[in-house]
Amino acid sequence: MKQERFVALHREAWSELQHWLDLVDSKPRQALRDARASGFPVEYRRLCHHLALARARGYSGEVTDRLQRMVQQGHRLLYRPPAPRWHRALSFLVAGFPRLVRSEWRCMAAAAVLFFAPALFCLVALQFHPQWAHSIFGSAQLAEFEKMYDPANHRIGRSSGTDLAMFGHYVMNNVSIAFRTFASGLALGVGAVYVLAANGVIIGGVAGHLTQMGYGGPFWRFVAAHAAFELTALVIAGGAGLKLGLTLLAPGRQRRGPAMVAAGWIGAQLALGAFAMLLIAAAIEAFWSSVAWFPDLLKFGSAALLWLLVLGWLWRGGAQAEGGDGA
Amino acid sequence: MLDTLRQIETPEGVFLRLRAAGALPRAQAWTIDFVLRLVVFSAAMIPLSLFGSAGSGVGALLMFVLMWAYAVVCEVWFGGQTLGKRAMGLRVVSADGAPVTLVPSVLRNLLRVVDILPGVYAVGLASTLIDPYGRRLGDVIAGTLVIHGGELPVGSQVPKVAPMAPPPGLAPDEQAVIVEFAERCGQLTPQRQQELADLLQPLTGCSGEAGVQRLLGYANWLLGRT
Repeated sequence: MKQERFVALHREAWSELQHWLDLVDSKPRQALRDARASGFPVEYRRLCHHLALARARGYSGEVTDRLQRMVQQGHRLLYRPPAPRWHRALSFLVAGFPRLVRSEWRCMAAAAVLFFAPALFCLVALQFHPQWAHSIFGSAQLAEFEKMYDPANHRIGRSSGTDLAMFGHYVMNNVSIAFRTFASGLALGVGAVYVLAANGVIIGGVAGHLTQMGYGGPFWRFVAAHAAFELTALVIAGGAGLKLGLTLLAPGRQRRGPAMVAAGWIGAQLALGAFAMLLIAAAIEAFWSSVAWFPDLLKFGSAALLWLLVLGWLWRGGAQAEGGDGA
Repeated sequence: MLDTLRQIETPEGVFLRLRAAGALPRAQAWTIDFVLRLVVFSAAMIPLSLFGSAGSGVGALLMFVLMWAYAVVCEVWFGGQTLGKRAMGLRVVSADGAPVTLVPSVLRNLLRVVDILPGVYAVGLASTLIDPYGRRLGDVIAGTLVIHGGELPVGSQVPKVAPMAPPPGLAPDEQAVIVEFAERCGQLTPQRQQELADLLQPLTGCSGEAGVQRLLGYANWLLGRT
């Protein structure tokens, strides 16, 4: 068939489809409610068929370029990402995320050791050698910590600022740190190791210093509850970063490229989960932890409950579905 | 063909042609985004500063959204384009040419932290120069690709002249060259048209304007016009 005849046969159908595709770009809602929408997949496949024919028969650019362009537009529409669903996000948080954490338990354990070992060491060491605090922090920093956790404050854990201000501040800071920890793991894991250990030293140092000087009461009352989400999320983000770095170092029985893509896919999901945890942590930290007048029982009781909740969730979350899949 | 062209076979058995974008347009798009975000943030901070420290909290949340969420939301739900990319005609797609989904988009934007090191995107630049498709590290690991989204101009109509059968024995690619010449005629000066047509003097047997007309006649015949 000569080109002109081919074009004459299908011109109508093409321009109608082109018109609808342009409409999708400009007014997606209206176009997708149109009756043509349900017939689109069939029309798109016919269009692909026409393009293949045009190429095989060596038709000129006038036809092939035009069809090529419509095919790209159609491909983009047919294979567009699904609309976000609350149900999916929720089932990921409840079941998918803890399952993912458990499946990467080696990296998570390594990250936990990298973080908690220096933290505990600093905490204990500062009880016996209080002067070491000055090797970790400058004196201005120490003064700031002491001001924040002064038992005389009616709001603990901050020197100024309202709840909302601190919420924004916590979200920005903590999530940024977690995201950077994850991403810097790409540098053969060095970044993640550094951030985890450094945060362990700092957090352990503050805790040790304040406990030793008798400000432990307000400090532990402040941190106990939100630490459940915050520290766990930091460890998970660090573990995901370690996984990225270790995969680059030792991809196992895969080529490095595909292994990195797979590790990145897992890591990004872990980072998303850690992000959700840090949002919860920031909300607790800003609106609950800072209230000084709650009795100790309520403070530490709620903290114990939250720790149990987080650990139980990570340990058992999604376990039934896992069994059901036979995985 | 451009060497950054990436052909991807779709499930329907045809090829998508993705033109990978290099470092320069991407840097320009990033700059536009950066300035836009700076402007939005500054503009929002003026009224927010009236609310004192609560305002600064909302400001921090806004900064978080602009810094981490802006690119992901734009890429996943607004056709793979941030405003800067839209201005530069760029688009993020997955390696198989389909629109980018949430997890790869999150990953490529998180790994920006590494690409941006040290300071001014040095790692990212090195990666785009090494990679055949100009991907930065984040793109390589997320399995995504930044392409020129604007479509190429469609070939124009062949001018209508009386069709004339070409001498027999022309191979398909030779026929294609003649049609392509006729399509591009409109963009060439008459002198250049004649210069090109003169190369085919052995075929057409005439030179100058007559040669051009004869080639156009052949093209019309090859297209099947009567």
